[in-house]
Order: sequence, then C-alpha cells, then structure tokens
Amino acid sequence: MSTLDDRPASSAVGEAQSANPGGVAALMQSPVAIRLGAILLLTVGLTLLQLSGRAFWQGFVINLGIFMILVLSLNLASGFTGVFSLGHIGFMALGAYGSAILTLPLAKKADYLPNLPAWLAAVHFDFYLGPFPLGFLLATLLAAGLVAGVALLVGLVLMRLSGHFVAVATLGFLVIVRVILFNADNFTRGSRTFSNVTPYTGLWWVWCWAILTLYVVWRLKYSAYGRAMFAQREDSLAAQAIGLAILPPRLLAFVVSAFFTAVAGSLYAHFITSFSPTVFYFDLTFRVITMLIVGGLGSVSGSVLGTVAIMALAEALRRLEDVTLLYGMSQITLAVILIVIIIYRPNGLLGRREIVLARLFRKGGEPSP
Amino acid sequence: MKTKFFIPIVMLVVSLLLLSCGGATPTPSTSGSDTSGEAASSEPIKIGGGFALTGEESALDLPAANGAKLAAKEINAAGGVLGRPVDLIVHDSQYKMDVTAQIAKQFVEEDGVVAVIGFTDTDSVLAAGPTIQAAGLPFITAGATSPKIPTQVGDEMFLACFGDNVQAAAGAEYGFNNFGPNAYLLWDKGVEYTTLLGGYFKDRFTELGGTIVLEDQYDDEATDFSAQIAKIKALPEQPDFYFISAMPYNVGPVIKQFRDAGLTGPIVGGDGYDTPDLLSVAGPAAENVFFTTHALMDATGGTEGIKKFIADYNKEYGHDPENAFAALGYDTMNLISDAITRAGSTDAAAIKKAIEETKDYAGITGSISFGDSHIPQKGVTIIAVKDGAFTLGAEVVPEKVPAP
Repeated sequence: MSTLDDRPASSAVGEAQSANPGGVAALMQSPVAIRLGAILLLTVGLTLLQLSGRAFWQGFVINLGIFMILVLSLNLASGFTGVFSLGHIGFMALGAYGSAILTLPLAKKADYLPNLPAWLAAVHFDFYLGPFPLGFLLATLLAAGLVAGVALLVGLVLMRLSGHFVAVATLGFLVIVRVILFNADNFTRGSRTFSNVTPYTGLWWVWCWAILTLYVVWRLKYSAYGRAMFAQREDSLAAQAIGLAILPPRLLAFVVSAFFTAVAGSLYAHFITSFSPTVFYFDLTFRVITMLIVGGLGSVSGSVLGTVAIMALAEALRRLEDVTLLYGMSQITLAVILIVIIIYRPNGLLGRREIVLARLFRKGGEPSP
Repeated sequence: MKTKFFIPIVMLVVSLLLLSCGGATPTPSTSGSDTSGEAASSEPIKIGGGFALTGEESALDLPAANGAKLAAKEINAAGGVLGRPVDLIVHDSQYKMDVTAQIAKQFVEEDGVVAVIGFTDTDSVLAAGPTIQAAGLPFITAGATSPKIPTQVGDEMFLACFGDNVQAAAGAEYGFNNFGPNAYLLWDKGVEYTTLLGGYFKDRFTELGGTIVLEDQYDDEATDFSAQIAKIKALPEQPDFYFISAMPYNVGPVIKQFRDAGLTGPIVGGDGYDTPDLLSVAGPAAENVFFTTHALMDATGGTEGIKKFIADYNKEYGHDPENAFAALGYDTMNLISDAITRAGSTDAAAIKKAIEETKDYAGITGSISFGDSHIPQKGVTIIAVKDGAFTLGAEVVPEKVPAP
C-alpha cells in the first residue's frame, strides 16, 4: 500500500496546469478531477474485488496489471524510440530472480540455495513494518535498480544500433540471460524450478506499480525527453540537425523501461511463487509484443487498451475451449486476430494517438495533446 | 476505411469479455461446503484435471489427459463412485505458468472439485500446487517425477509415478550389470527433469563402483550435438555405454547424430525417451537403446491390464496410446476414485487419508502403495529397442535409491 503515495503526486502536477473554479460542469472538464475520478473508480473496483474473495478474478486482474507494466515499459523502450527490443523479458527474469533470492527467508535459503555466497546467504528481506511487507518493497526496488544498472551497461553498447540490428542484438541479450541463469546454479538453482517464494504480490501491489508506471511513461512522453525520443525515431538526421543527440534519449528510455520490467518480474515471482529460466523466454516475449502491437506503438493508452483486449480475449477464448473442447483454438484465434489487425490497422488499434479521458466528457472534439 | 474495422473489433473484444464474465457468475463456489456424499444425491463428484494440452509439454500431457478421461468414462459406465457419477473437469494450462496458476484457482473456486489430478512436469505442478494445497484438496500428479515435489508443495501433494531417483537408480544398475563400469553421461542443462535424472544416475552409478569417464551437457534448445560427439571421439577409450538424459523432443535428434557419427554402443535414458518420436525420428539408429519408464505400451508384450487398456484406448480415440503417460493418466484417475470409494465420502481430508492408506493398488503401470512418503514405491520397466519396436528389457526394483 506504500505506493499509494504516488497518487497525490499525479494530481498535484495536474493541479498546477489548471486552476479551476468550482461547479459540477467545470469539474467534469477538469483533467485533475477526471484523473482523480478514474483512480477513485479503480480503487473502488479493486476494493470490491478484494472483498469478494474470488481468487480467480483477483488473479486475472493481478496478471492484467503485471502485463500492463510489461507492455507500458516495452512501449517506452521500443514504441517511443523506434529501437525494437526483443530482450526485455531478460530484464524481467533478472528482476524475478533478484528479488526472489532477496526475499527468501533464511530457513528456506539454507534448504533451497545452500551454496549462496555468505554475504548473500545472510541477507533476507522478509521483514515487515507492522502489517506491511517492507522487505518486499525494498527487494523489488533493489533488484529493479540493479537491473537498471545492467540495462545502462547493455544500452551503452546496443542503443547505438538501429533497425533490425538492435532487435537481433537484444535477442542475443535474452539468450545470454537465460544461459547465465541456467549456469549460475548457486544463485538460481539452474534449470531446477525456483520454488517456495513468499506470495507477497496482491491486487494493491500490482496496481500501485501499474499506475506508477503509467504515470511515469505518460509524463515522459510529453516531456522534452519524450519529444527527443520521438524526434530521433521519426528522422534521426533531422533530429541531429537541430542539435538532438541520439544516444541519451534512447538510453533513458531503455534504462527506465528495464527498471519497470524488472519490477514486473518481481511481482510475477511473488505471485506465481515458482519459476524456472524457461518461463522467461520467447513465449512471454511474444505475448507482450502482441499486446504492444495491438495497442499501438507509441500510444500509452494504446498499451493499456491492447493489454486489456488481449488478456480478456485470451481468457474468454480459453473458457470457450472448455465448452467446445477444441483445445488450442484460443491460440490460433489470437494469432488470426493479430494478422487481421496488422493488415487493416498496421499501427495497432490506436496508432500513436491517445484516448484522453477529459475528451470523453466534452462535446466538441479538441485536438489531442 | 480505418474506423470501419475498428468498431467491429472493439465490439468483438467487449462481447467476449462479457461472455467470459458471464460464464463465471452462475456457478457459486461449492468447495468445502457440500462434502457429505451420504445424502445419496446423484450430483456428480467433480475432479479437476489440469493438463498442458497445448504447448511444448503436450506430447506427454495430451495422452495423460486422454487416459484420465477414459478412466472416468469407464468408472461412470460401471456405476460411478459412491453411487454418484464422476465428472473430470479438464482445463488446458497451455504450458503457461500464469494460466496454470489461474486454472488451479478455477478448480478450487468455480468448479468446486474435491481433488485435482494432472500435469507431467515439475514447473506446472509447482505453479498449481500452492493454491490447491491452501484449499486443502488432495493433488495427485500423473507424471511429474521430481521426488522433491511433495516437500516443495505440502502434505496434499502425491505422485502417481515413481520419482526420478528411482528410475535413475534402475538405469544405473541395469547399465552397470549389463554393459560395464565405464559410462558417459550427457544431460540437458535446460530442464529440471533431465538435470535431476543425470545427477541421480551419477550418484547411484559411482556408488556401485562405476566410473563416469566423461560428463557433458547441452542446452535445451540445441539441435546440433557435434561438439559433444567430438569430445567423446577424443577419449582414449570408448565408454561401455552412454547415459543421455534428454527431453522427448531432443531424444530423436541426439540418438541419430550419435549413431551417424559412428558411436554404436548402448544408449540408456529415462522416461523422456518414451515417445513415438524416438522410433520415427531416429529410425534404425534407435537400435541398442534402453530406457526406464512406467510401463511398456505394447499390445502383444504387455501385461493383461496393459493389453486391455490399449484396446479400450484404441476404441475410444482411434489410435494406440502414444506413450506410458496415457497409462499414468488412467491410473491416476482410478487411484483417486479408489480412494474416494474407500473414504466413503467426498470430504477432502478423508480422501487424503484414503490415498495415504493406498496399499498394493493394482494399477496398469505397476502396483501402487503410499507409505510415509507421498511418492509410491513402484517397479521400473526397462524397455529395449529391437528391430524398430519397443520390447520389454526388464522389470526391476532398484536395490538402492539415492536420497531425493
């Protein structure tokens, strides 16, 4: 619940933009009020879901949040800059393993990871602050910070490449991470399943992180940094001609994106509670890319829409399978839908446009920001 | 042009979303509440069947699911359990761990099952296990052979098959006694099953006094084994046999490449070899291959139970069982129905107690007894490939088994 703190921050920035007089009509048009309203609605929805005690739908909404973080951060790295990364799931894997090793209680560490180096074997982030699992938050931040550092090193080399070279190079990164995880037996149990992770992840954890990711990515898009990312994506020569460096905006996008991808990895690890390096590979990579492409490269609301659409469709088709007994149909249907979207809407459902909440309440159509 | 397709797609998504929610609401959660079977109700007893029917593991899970469904059908034809029909509710986990965790919740919460069976790999069992354990329902895996699973999941977890330590010990003893004390060991580093199997083989083989002359590994995605083969050829003296711990999809290529390179010695492996791919991909190269598995799926050489199972399976699905996992699925379903019958109720705790008390249950993959351990003591079948067919090499119980 700690990350609830970032919510007022979101409204505080909005408040600075529009000093609004009172009145219901005016309130309906104030972006601050609408954003607060959306967050309130989400909070009420999550509270109801939490109180309903229905673990299946809670799990569904948790997965939705985790994938939303993954898609949003991949959009930041790939959609905004045009540098297509196939290696992001590698960051997720590092985040998952990093945080899981940190939060594992000492007794389980001795059982499952007996060969850890002494300094790591003595560390355990399983402490609470009252009812709040502070250790989990710290472990997530620490793991994500380390991954961001790795991304900085990797990015310094890879972000100088363009086009399909960078896709191949990042794919290489994914393969390297996998091989390292397999071979670092003492830290990761190698190919054996890393199990018995404490299930900290809940609705509030995931959605506070998802809202934070959404906010950061959204703010970045309309900042000077974001403009620079889009400018060098559209025409790198023109961008350089007006004095924009290519590397810094790309690197910023890559590192921030790696941070949140690692957070998603940590949330995933403490939700599923057992995983092996095979989990973080092509299958997850392409599921995230599908959601990103369906939503639209470069559109923040598109990422949200794409994630919700694909997750809902996958779940609906899965349930349809149980009725029709045509197992495998859901995956074929999803693939066909992806092909149809690529043909008729090559830029995804939203392209680079955004759904602006405030506009939904207005009569006249104003240009989107 | 653009909006023309946008609206229908959004409508499709929304309607399917509604459909998915609608499908869930009418079934109230019944788990734990209607547990007494004495009321002589004819309401079916629900058993959850979790299987990765699609994805990389489907070569093993699909036969296992078919076997379980066949068993459920036969049980119902014979009058059901406690006078009630059994309803095996199957969900496809797609070999995705988030989906696997979700279907476990679906079993517990929406389907209201009294027990869960399924899966043939450790990852899936460990992803589904905690939810089922927390709900206090018995969970029997059909084919995940890691002996560590019950300690990782909890006291509701059972295996219907032997552990990897048992089959590795059987393979080591068979190789040591029949081929000689010098072995070559190769394993797939990318998968838990192959890593454990290789490790247990080494433990037991060196304990017997054998020597591993060379040990090597490869990545799960590997398709070319020439580097490993070159190292063997560089050995001053060839080993007596090769123990290769491989996944079903690698078995064919690795054996074929060994033979093509002129390595003709006996090759020994685990139940990952029990796939039709071994014969279809490796072809004549599969001669002189021996592997440990759960049962010989052979209509002529098998036991009476196996022969009947193969005939019934063929009648139901139009082809013979693909491998022993079909028989394991069949046994798992029968094991749970036997336990419910003996428990005399569908109370989860009573079923769990009845499973623990299972003694000499005559399954078609061998006799099953659970002692203190939740892993059954079962015999191991060793299959020899001869003239392009699986033939019975031996039925063994290893003399000593490495600790899990």
